[in-house]
Amino acid sequence: MVEHSAVEVENLYVSYGSTPVLVNVGLTVPAGAGVCVTGDNGIGKSTLLRCVSSLQQPDSGAIRVFGAEPGDSPAFWATVATTVEPPTWYLGLTVREHAELVCRAHGQDPEDAGIDEALERLGLGAHADAIPPSLSSGQKQRLTLALVLLRPSSLLILDEPEQRLDPDGRAMVAGMLAEYLSTGGSLLLASHDDKFAVASGAEIVTMEQLSGGEDR
Amino acid sequence: MSYLVELRPVRRWIRRTRASHRERGETLGTAYTVVFCIGVTIAIFNEPLAAVFTPLVPHLTGVGALAAAVVCAALLFLGLRRLGPVTVSRPASYFLLTAPVSRRRLLAPSLHAVAAGAGLSAAAITFAVLGHALAAGSAVLVVTGALVGVLLTLLASAAQRRPHLATATDAVARVALALGLATLVAEVTGWTPPEFGATPATSVVLPLTGALAVLVTAAYLAGVRDIARTPNAEVLESAKTAGTLADTAYSMEPSFLSDMLERRYWARRRLRSTTLHRRLPPLTAQDLLLARRRTPRLLWTAASTALPLLLTAAPPWLLALTLVLGSSLAARATTATVKTDATNPVLLRLLGLDSRQAVRQRFWIPLALATTWSTVALALLQTSGALPPGQWWLLGAALGPIGAISALRAARSGMARNDLIPIDTPMGSLPTGPLLHAFSGIDMLILAVPTVIQLSQGWPAAYDMILFQLVLAVAGTQAYLTFTTDPTRLNLSPR
Repeated sequence: MVEHSAVEVENLYVSYGSTPVLVNVGLTVPAGAGVCVTGDNGIGKSTLLRCVSSLQQPDSGAIRVFGAEPGDSPAFWATVATTVEPPTWYLGLTVREHAELVCRAHGQDPEDAGIDEALERLGLGAHADAIPPSLSSGQKQRLTLALVLLRPSSLLILDEPEQRLDPDGRAMVAGMLAEYLSTGGSLLLASHDDKFAVASGAEIVTMEQLSGGEDR
Repeated sequence: MSYLVELRPVRRWIRRTRASHRERGETLGTAYTVVFCIGVTIAIFNEPLAAVFTPLVPHLTGVGALAAAVVCAALLFLGLRRLGPVTVSRPASYFLLTAPVSRRRLLAPSLHAVAAGAGLSAAAITFAVLGHALAAGSAVLVVTGALVGVLLTLLASAAQRRPHLATATDAVARVALALGLATLVAEVTGWTPPEFGATPATSVVLPLTGALAVLVTAAYLAGVRDIARTPNAEVLESAKTAGTLADTAYSMEPSFLSDMLERRYWARRRLRSTTLHRRLPPLTAQDLLLARRRTPRLLWTAASTALPLLLTAAPPWLLALTLVLGSSLAARATTATVKTDATNPVLLRLLGLDSRQAVRQRFWIPLALATTWSTVALALLQTSGALPPGQWWLLGAALGPIGAISALRAARSGMARNDLIPIDTPMGSLPTGPLLHAFSGIDMLILAVPTVIQLSQGWPAAYDMILFQLVLAVAGTQAYLTFTTDPTRLNLSPR
């Protein structure tokens, strides 16, 4: 059986109007490994992640996720979990119930999935009965991370997961991502925080290195 | 140090600057559109409007007329409370509420406008109720009605400043609404109310109206004096409401308003996490939990099964349409979750469910609600003798699925599309997107045509007709659930 990389990007080209954002970008994330893309604001990190997540159509280039083209199919989203999009919430469900719903939809037993532990570790234990729209932006970020980490997946795509987190929260999330990698998951993230990326076990690569066909 | 900026020149400058950015004739164009819309509405709904305001045969007793007036007053008051009523525009809430200007001058115009609107509405309601009760209108009583409308505005404005008063008045209005409706239903189902005696003479009504006018004037002056004490949070909330109402009207997108109300409702609730029902599919369990959490809404829905009884004297087609639409409205209690997923499928991606799984799991609670509503409403009508012979309540099992898929389809249509080409008519252009959006969901009610025809024609409910309607409903529902979903697609919006 052929072992596919988690993510393979070749000659990716994306522009907004006449402004090119990604030019001839190449990237490989081996299965079971983590890659953190760094670079200045506006250089195209989020655009790259959105293309890999199938949420944005590139102008040209090839993208493979575990050997298949990314698409908006249930099979793709059973494999990939992402925080690239801003979250929405079900009105009338609490923080804990959102977590339970995600576990139940993936066939997990909510008791065994460790919902309370995950919420506690991310500092949301005291907010389990709150409705998500009432949380602060940092707490919402933690909840989004808790949900993608609770559900089963083979690839995590995270856009600046350290944003809006305090130093303790960053260390905690980095530790959880390192755990995810240690269980065989693959990780692609964009970040401005090199220390966070290293602590999460991801290899750092700059957008400049990815552009111009210079594959990593 | 006290420093107050004169508000009038600031407002004049804002008006002038905004007017300078408008194209020539734009205001006239807007006025034309408004007048055109009102004209078309009157032309289309000429007969129903005439039936509401000037019925040929008055049928309300004194108690019935009082109950109808109480229902209308309660609805008007609750509407005013939702609106504010003291408010400012959204830009003014940002730029002027925080500026050193007179709060009284800033807020008073909204009170004047709302009081005028409420007065006119109350006068129209009084005219209509009198038409149903006395056959002849009384100008003095219409003025009394208008004064009551202004008084309700002042009460709503006072409640906006005092949370305890707000809780009490809202509760009283809801109880009054329920009692008024119950009285009307009881009268329709055969209860004989006590007689009021003769219509009050003008010599009695006139001094009372005069006293009321004095009271309203004093209350109005006191209300305007106290208006500056309206808390900022309340003004900001009502500014958001007014802005959302304007957005809803401008874009013909009612979901802006319903979404805002839904968010406010849940923001005020204090919830305790509970476990989702283990034997149900996850999304069905979620909908069941949300329905259980909205007990007051469920109670109102249950009470509304008696409302079709009020239409027993109306044309049969109106009763039939009400029954069909009612089942769809009852089913909408939990479809906000479908709207959330259809507008932005980010949570569905997280859940990893395909569109077929999601829609089928979301179908069951609306089905239960719509079927129960239709069955009970038809049973009540049948028991009261308002329907031709036959077991009409059996049709609830057919109207339920139709109401459920109608509600699901409306929720899945997401937002109105404004990118579609408008239809040009000699009197102006019709926006296609909002028009299609308005009928999305209602179009599924075509499956209930056999029931509508049967009721409209006054034919008895034969078993073969009931069976035919049932088969049509089940087949239509199955086709909808199968052909508008796809196990390889996640997006809920129908393609």
